Amino acid sequence: MNTPLPQSIESPDPRSVRILWRDGHISLYPSRTLRLFCPCASCVNEWTGERTVRESDIPEEIRPTSWNLVGQYALSIGFSDGHDTGIYSFELLRALCSCPHCEQDRRQKHHQS
Amino acid sequence: MSQSTDKTIAEGVMKALGRVIEPDFKKDLVTLNMIEELSVKEGHVVFTVILTTPACPLKEEIKKACMSALASVPGIASVDIRMTARTTGGGAREGKLAIEGVKNVIAVSSGKGGVGKSTTAVNLSIALSRLGAKVGILDSDVYGPNIPMMLGVTTLPKQVNNRWFPPKIHDIPIMSMAFMAPPGAPLIWRGPMLHGIITQFVRDVEWGELDYLVVDMPPGTGDAQLSLCQLVPVTGAVIVTTPQEVALSDSRRGLAMFQKVNVPILGIVENMSTFHCPHCHHETPIFSSGGGEHAAAELKVPFLGRIPIDLAIREAGDSGRPIGLTHPESPLSEAYLKIAGSIASRISVLNSDYQPITLGNLAQAT
Repeated sequence: MNTPLPQSIESPDPRSVRILWRDGHISLYPSRTLRLFCPCASCVNEWTGERTVRESDIPEEIRPTSWNLVGQYALSIGFSDGHDTGIYSFELLRALCSCPHCEQDRRQKHHQS
Repeated sequence: MSQSTDKTIAEGVMKALGRVIEPDFKKDLVTLNMIEELSVKEGHVVFTVILTTPACPLKEEIKKACMSALASVPGIASVDIRMTARTTGGGAREGKLAIEGVKNVIAVSSGKGGVGKSTTAVNLSIALSRLGAKVGILDSDVYGPNIPMMLGVTTLPKQVNNRWFPPKIHDIPIMSMAFMAPPGAPLIWRGPMLHGIITQFVRDVEWGELDYLVVDMPPGTGDAQLSLCQLVPVTGAVIVTTPQEVALSDSRRGLAMFQKVNVPILGIVENMSTFHCPHCHHETPIFSSGGGEHAAAELKVPFLGRIPIDLAIREAGDSGRPIGLTHPESPLSEAYLKIAGSIASRISVLNSDYQPITLGNLAQAT
């Protein structure tokens, strides 16, 4: 796997999750964004890839209430709305990083393709 | 000889050992903190080399290298090198997934059934144990848990105060899916049941202090295998394959699964690699040969070695007396020892790079 591994995963305040990656990169995620991108089978249609969770159903104030490392490749997060089936692979988390640098990388890749 | 001369010798010894390179780690023994309890009395030098695994295949090589390095140190009357090991652990002992007392978890896996995965798991466990490591076996093959039979285990684990005490064969504790169902009954484990039973194996079994827990994985790349990777803190995976293309393509799938869940691949073992006819001594590559090695090169993972098809291995497995115990000096047992040694050194190297992931606390509800 080419994705770097996290060095630390923290929630500096209930509204966000911060990952310090082993390659020095830092990602900051709004808690609500992570909930919206939950990859579990009840949030994403496994055949079509269509997201079945509605943005309007997710409370603004949502926050993580429990989390655990899954094997050596992912983080499972339980949220304050009771949803706890999402397993976020480090690959997915890295891809969800919305820092200006990663956004620009994505835009460039998008233009090339 | 004066104390000050002894002190000079001790300094010379450390300086000389600082030039002995550990072949796996590519650093010197002093930098690696592998030298302990150095004493010099009247020119008699005694010290201990701490290896990262008792199964280190380089034990003798390192000892010889120390001896020749010390030849250049003046004033030495005698040298006594003690070799001992303190097995390092990596991810296996961290966090919520840690198995109490277990330093490393080795998953033995195959992309398809029938390639001799369980036989390899049993024989590698015995080889690791013969090399001086403390080993346990977790038979998590949900479809065909045959390890108890291969090792001649007839007793069931004992349960005391919600703790399971596994039966032991040659000091190797064994837990198996087979203990959870009557003999001959089909094992139909659905996802959640499997989850529950594996969690028990990991959490409630008294393994004792183990350097290596060898997990015989179910063959294939399905739900059961993924659950295991999520629940068991695997240090690294060994892929067993037979050399023919049909088996190899499945092995590639197995390898890809481990890569997806970020489990390091320790290497590929090519089983049933060739058949030496005991009558005419002709060698027949029944399942082709060299395929495992090619696959390893192509997938950029280590090739650990090949085990020929041999009646003795099958008979030993069927009779519950594995070859490493019945014929410890045979070339087959030697082949397993060599593979076990390579696995142990790969794990030591992996563990030296291991960095845990720190998971912060979550703010409590306000």
